[in-house]
Formats: sequence, structure tokens, C-alpha cells
Amino acid sequence: MNSSRLHIPALAGHEYRAAVRSRILIVLLAILVVVTTVSVYIGAVDYRSQLSDYMAYRAAAQASGLAQVAPSPLAPLSLLRGALEYLEIIGAIIAIALGYLGVSRERTNRTLALVRSRPVSPSELAAGNALGALGLISTLVAVTASVAVVCIGVIGHDWVNGAQAVKLLLAYFSAIVYMWIFYCIGAIATIKSQVAANGLMIALGIWLIVVLIMPQIGDTLDVDNQIPGGLFHALNLVKADEISILNNFKTYEKIRTGIEEASFAQHFQRFAFAMTDVKDKYRTLSLWQLFGKKIHDIEWLVLYSVTFGFGLRHSFKSQNKVPQGVQP
Amino acid sequence: MIATIAKHQLLLLRRQRIFLGMMCLFLAMAAAAGMLGWSSHHTIVRVYDDAKQLLANAGKPAPPNPFLLTPPLSLLSNMTIYIPLLGALLALVLGHLSMIEDQTDGTGRLIFSRPVSRTTYVLGTMASASSALAAILAASWWVSALSLAIVHRSIPSVQEFGQLTLFYGLSWSYMFAFALIGMVTVLLTQRRSLALLSAIGVWLIVTFAVPQFTSGLRPSASLNPITDPVSTSQRFFKVTAKARPYSVVEQYKAASGRILQTATAEPVWETMRRVLPLAILIIGLVLATIRLVQQHDFSRSASNE
Repeated sequence: MNSSRLHIPALAGHEYRAAVRSRILIVLLAILVVVTTVSVYIGAVDYRSQLSDYMAYRAAAQASGLAQVAPSPLAPLSLLRGALEYLEIIGAIIAIALGYLGVSRERTNRTLALVRSRPVSPSELAAGNALGALGLISTLVAVTASVAVVCIGVIGHDWVNGAQAVKLLLAYFSAIVYMWIFYCIGAIATIKSQVAANGLMIALGIWLIVVLIMPQIGDTLDVDNQIPGGLFHALNLVKADEISILNNFKTYEKIRTGIEEASFAQHFQRFAFAMTDVKDKYRTLSLWQLFGKKIHDIEWLVLYSVTFGFGLRHSFKSQNKVPQGVQP
Repeated sequence: MIATIAKHQLLLLRRQRIFLGMMCLFLAMAAAAGMLGWSSHHTIVRVYDDAKQLLANAGKPAPPNPFLLTPPLSLLSNMTIYIPLLGALLALVLGHLSMIEDQTDGTGRLIFSRPVSRTTYVLGTMASASSALAAILAASWWVSALSLAIVHRSIPSVQEFGQLTLFYGLSWSYMFAFALIGMVTVLLTQRRSLALLSAIGVWLIVTFAVPQFTSGLRPSASLNPITDPVSTSQRFFKVTAKARPYSVVEQYKAASGRILQTATAEPVWETMRRVLPLAILIIGLVLATIRLVQQHDFSRSASNE
């Protein structure tokens, strides 16, 4: 037990430092930060003018002695929509690269045999690598979140308050869980492949299906998503009519939502969007009400992360069965 | 000699399970594009009928069917999404494998011990990549034509066959550009993983980042054939919109929409102008690949991964 306390942090520290030295990870992080900044900037410029309009209205209302001033309809956290979408796409690739590099580095340098010659168990090795990766993923997410929050404050002229900060933390925590799943996929695929680069390609293939193809199929089959502005809006139908009509297409809707639900990227997106007020319907809900509405997405994310976590531990245990130093 | 090298490369590609897997996925998505298009279209027509009935019961007039004037090839509008996503990634992997294999297994050194010029070698490699892409897209063409015939219960007209061929010709050019990017990144980097991830970095910038910079399109908008118009009246876009004609993914989608008649009609020269940046990009990449192969040290093996 005591040796584990020493070994795991040492392995985690090694994993963290080695990953930080990787040029490709730094380049991918730079791309993520730049696109996040631009995405928030574009939204924040519009937001700034809307906020100044609202402030002018409020000042005028207060000056004229109006008893009740309408609350601001603006939601600064919703400006993070683009940033979260980039985390979903680029963040996942960074996590896969992290998982791949962690395994291939030990193979290429032939240091795995050396580490295993020391009194380090496969579980400690897995825990150390996983902790180091989680530390790095948390750093990446924290950098992206800080850039986004500063952009909202400096460009949008609205700083995030305490309650919003809690919701933001939860959204970014779900991003860490989401990236952890992809880290596991990248590491497992690399461990299982005799040629490390093939593992990377397999993991990227899974990413393609989960992040792009499945949500795209769901979008395409969405009845209301077929013409600009929405089909039901074009047909002048209210929400009650929409529900009444969709009741006749239950099987179709079940298949469509089933395809979307199979993608954990969708669960991350739904949870993170609810926490950052992207959808109007969630803006008035309290945190506990939001948890109640999104419990399904939380359950799926936990299930995927635990399953892949166990898969990673199992793969690390069987890693010594793969011949080391195999050429790609 | 170019043909011999191309034939050898194609033989190697046939043995690559990763490439074959991605190719199958691409063809499956081509078949799915027709099926999904038919399924959503069929459901929407039924939704419209239900809505018409509901509005009639409430004594309200029903608006005209928004899908009444939809062209037959709109069934394949999903393909304009799959080519920049799946097709471009398949092409990246193809280009990557075409160039990396000779480095990792050491055949690069062996080839150049024979009287083969580097220009011949690179032209043969490009010919194999372009032939492989042409074969994949020809198969996809058949799948699409078959989907159209099954859904519409009639053989597509000569004009529709022509439009389909033009669309796949344009898609071939788009994918070939990414195959070249896959080759260039191998020649510019020393590690296999670095080459692959750099190529994917370029693809991410071209597919997701540039459209947001120039047109304000969020990344998820790239997944949907129908995109809501975005306000680009900000000063930021007044500057960046000047680069929009050079955003190859946006121009590819716009030109494809015009060819498949799912977008607003425009003069032919306007569509040809949209394809021009892609043509310039391909020429630039071909020249860069030839130049890089001339300078590349094939005696250094990339087998350290």
C-alpha cells in the first residue's frame, strides 16, 4: 500500500512531464485555444451591444421611476457553445493523442521492460499513467475555460458570477470525463495493436463514428431540422401541435434518438449545453432541477468512463504480452 | 515506370486493413446517404400531411408543402457532408500510407538503388493515390445511382447521371487534395504519429476553424446539410469574409449544392470560380510534394514507432 503511494504519483508525474514535452500536443492545444478565442469573440461582440442596449433600457426605466424592471434575457455562458463544440471535436483528438503517445513512448524508448523490472505492478502503472493523463486533461480544459471566461469578461463586458461559475465548473468537469473516455480509447487501441500507429488510426476511426457520424445521422433524421428555421415553424405549428404530430412517429423518433444516445459525445454535449444556458428552456431552472433533467446523460457518461477505465486497467495488465520494439 | 510504381503502391494499399476498413465505412455511408435522405423525406411528407389535417380541423389554411419543389438529387445532399468529413479523412490516411510504407519497411532505400528518378517515383505514388480514390468514388457513384433508382422507382435521367458524375468528379479533386496533404506531412515530419496528427490538424483547421472565421459557422453546423443563416455584419467578418472565396470546404459545399441543384441557382462561371481555389491548392500541393521528395532523405527510416 505504502509503495503504491510512492509509485503512482511518481509515474503520474512522469506521464505528465513527458506529455507536456510533446510538440504535437502543444500544437493541437494551440489550435484549440485559438479557435475557442475566436468562437467566444464572435459571440461576445454581439453580446456586448445587446448588453449595452439592456443597460440603457434599465437606466431609462429606473430614471422614470418604473417599479419593476424586466430582468436581462442575456445568458453570458451561452457564448461558450462554440468553445464546447471545439472541445467535443478537437479535445477528443487531443485525448486520443495523449493515450497513444503515453503507450507508444514507452514502447519506442523500450522503457516499459525497464519499468516492469522494478517493483511496479501493472495496476500501479495503469493508475499512474491514468492520473498523469487526467492531470494533463484537467490542465488543458482549465486553460480553455480560463481563456473563454476572460474573453466573455473583456470582450462581452460581463463577468461570470458565483452561480454561473458553479455551472461552468460542472460543464468543464463533464468535458474532463468526456476526454478521459477518449484517452482510454486511444491508449487501449494502441496497447492492443502491434503497430502503434495503427492503434492511433483505429482510435481516430472510433472518434469519427462517435463524434461526427452518429450525431450527423441523428441530425439528418430530425424532422424539424430539414429546412432553415425548422419545419414546424414553417408550417405555423405551436409546440402542442408538434408533440401531437410526433406522437404518430414514435418508432421513427425512437430509432433516431437511439442512434444519438449511443454516442457519448451527445451526452456530453447535452449536459454541457444545459449547464451553460445554451438552450432557452434550461435558463430558468435551478441547479438541482438541471441535475434532475440531465441525470440520464450523467448516468451514461459515468457508465462509459467507468467501463473504459476498467478496460484500460485490463489492457495495461496484458501489455507485457505484446512483443516490445515491434516495427510499425 | 510510373505505372509500375503506381501498381506496386496499389498492391500495398490492398493489404492495408485500416485503409480497407475506412473504405468500407465510406461506401456504407454512401449507401446510408440515400437511405437516410429517403427516410427523412418520406417522414416529412407524412408529417406535412398530418399538419395539413390538423390545420384544416382548426380552420386554418395550410402553407404550401416546403418539399414540393425539391430536386431528385437532393436525396444525396448528405454526401456533401460525408465527403469533407469521412472522404477527406480517408484520403488523408491514403496519402499517409502511400508515403510512409516505403519509409517504415525500408523499400524507399531499395527503390532508389535502382535506376528510378525521384520524379518518376512521386508521380507513380500520386497516380496510385488518385486511382484508388477514383475507384472508391466510382463505387460510390454506383451506390448513389442505385439508391436514386430504388427510391424514385425509375432510372435517373441522362442529365441526372451527368450531375452525379460532375459531383463525384469535384469530390475526387477535394479528396485528392487531402491525400496530397497526407503525403506532404509525412515528408515534412520525422515521426509517423507526428505526420498523421499534423495532417489531422490541417483537416480540422480547413473543415471547422476556417468556416467559423470567414462565415461564423459553428463546428456543429458542418454536420448538417441545412444550416441556418448566420449574422456576419460584425466588423470582424468584414475583414475575414474576404478570405471566404478561398475557404475550400465552403466553396466545395456551395459548388456541390449547385451541381446537385440543392442550392440556389447561379451562373456556371460562378460555380467554376468556386472550384478555382481547390485547383490552385492541388497544383501547389503537387509541386510541394515533388519538391519535398527530391529533398527527402530516404536512407533515414521512420521505423522508430
